[in-house]
Amino acid sequence: MAILEVKNLKKSFDDTEVIRDISFTMDEGETLTIIGSSGSGKTTLLRCLNFLERPDSGVIRVKDEVLFDSDITGTVSEKDIRNRRLHFGLVFQSFNLFPQYTALENVTLAPLLLAKENTGIDLPAIEENARGLLDDMGLSDRMGNYPHELSGGQQQRVAIARALALHPDILCFDEPTSALDPELTGEVLRVIKDLAGHNMTMIIVTHEMSFAHDVSDKILFMDKGVIAEEGTPEEVIDNPQNDRTIQFLANYKNGM
Amino acid sequence: MALTVTLTLLEGFLQTIRLFILTLLFALPLGLVISFGSMAKAQAVRVPIRFMIWVIRGTPLMLQLLVIYYGPGIIMKSNVWGSGDTGRFIAALVAFVINYSCYFSEIYRGGIQSIPVGQYEAGQVLGMTKHQIFFKVVLLQVIKRIVPPISNEIITLVKDTSLARVIAVYEIIWKGQSFIKSAGIIWPLFYTGVFYLLFSGLLTLLFGFVEKKLSYFR
Ligand SMILES: Nc1ncnc2c1ncn2[C@@H]1O[C@H](COP(=O)(O)OP(=O)(O)O)[C@@H](O)[C@H]1O
Ligand SMILES: [Mg+2]
Repeated sequence: MAILEVKNLKKSFDDTEVIRDISFTMDEGETLTIIGSSGSGKTTLLRCLNFLERPDSGVIRVKDEVLFDSDITGTVSEKDIRNRRLHFGLVFQSFNLFPQYTALENVTLAPLLLAKENTGIDLPAIEENARGLLDDMGLSDRMGNYPHELSGGQQQRVAIARALALHPDILCFDEPTSALDPELTGEVLRVIKDLAGHNMTMIIVTHEMSFAHDVSDKILFMDKGVIAEEGTPEEVIDNPQNDRTIQFLANYKNGM
Repeated sequence: MALTVTLTLLEGFLQTIRLFILTLLFALPLGLVISFGSMAKAQAVRVPIRFMIWVIRGTPLMLQLLVIYYGPGIIMKSNVWGSGDTGRFIAALVAFVINYSCYFSEIYRGGIQSIPVGQYEAGQVLGMTKHQIFFKVVLLQVIKRIVPPISNEIITLVKDTSLARVIAVYEIIWKGQSFIKSAGIIWPLFYTGVFYLLFSGLLTLLFGFVEKKLSYFR
């Protein structure tokens, strides 16, 4: 059964339709990559999934739970929204680490706050888990450092650990390496690839085509708010059928 | 003579310090309330508050002191401030609190608005409440950014307290000046400057310390 189902999702800002009727599903453990030119609505789609934007219409379902359905009216409490968005994690292009906290504290902050609301959660276990995650990210010797003492690649890996600490069902990445110097993208992509190897369910927006080809089970090509083409990496990247996809990939190879 | 002058000036300085501390005590929190008002989504709140800030920051504190002290008596035909030294001191305090909370509110607003929206969004996707995001994520960053401008404002306040003399609050300069008439000497006036220098020097050290304490992050 699909872990995520997105149906007829639409989102406009003022008069411009940014997401125009998007539907797709993904299975547990899959890595889904979204490619497409700038302005095609990739970020907006991830933001809708993470409840940073409210879709105008459509349905978002995770496992058996309907997280969003524009046909169901009535208001949702802040607490419900918070619970629903915890199905997802989001790693931002610009990391957005909290500057006043160490790497370790960045990872433990949200789980500790959450634990305060729900009794019966083992506090030492939270720190243990955070240390383990940072260790997996290759940051065992950086746990006590503040974000400004870390390189961009290290900061992004802390951000990934921070998102993982809440055990999201689906982890989203919005161009996780676009803000990095080229020599630092590798370390972040490697970590994401590792997660894919461990069957983390992920949606990745990226412009790194060879990485996308390598890591994805499925690729969506987005164009002007719709999915213009979807399929395996071999289908979409090696044998694109849609004119727009062909053009996009050609621009890409010419080093846009 | 030196002793008499010192004691008299100390008495005036006590009044200066009292005005200074009480102004901060009220204006620092009130400024926060006003800054939230000036950022309110509702126009009915935001517009009048911005207007008030514009008026207060756009007119001299001296004028505000006079209006606040004499205004109620003339308009309402009753002296709301009560008579004597205490009444004048309270009127001065009210004027200072209004004036300084408007200045502080603009500093707070600048500090709050300078926090990148990504900080709020990171908190949101981590399931934090608005309350948690403000207190656990944003607040310390705001404090770090506003310490320098707030310190400037506070050091200005030390010197601005002397304006209270226009409604006969006997602060230190008033006391120093009184020796010109009574004893024909001017040096007590210079002596008051020493008090100001020492006090603002002390504050500069204190704020430098706070800035340093907050320099562990960027
Ligand atoms: N908050 C917003 N208000 C108005 N327009 C927006 C907003 N966010 C995004 N857009 C517009 O939506 C379009 C898609 O943006 P985005 O989802 O960021 O695309 P992508 O991530 O694929 O580059 C762009 O034209 C952008 O200007
Ligand atoms: Mg984008």
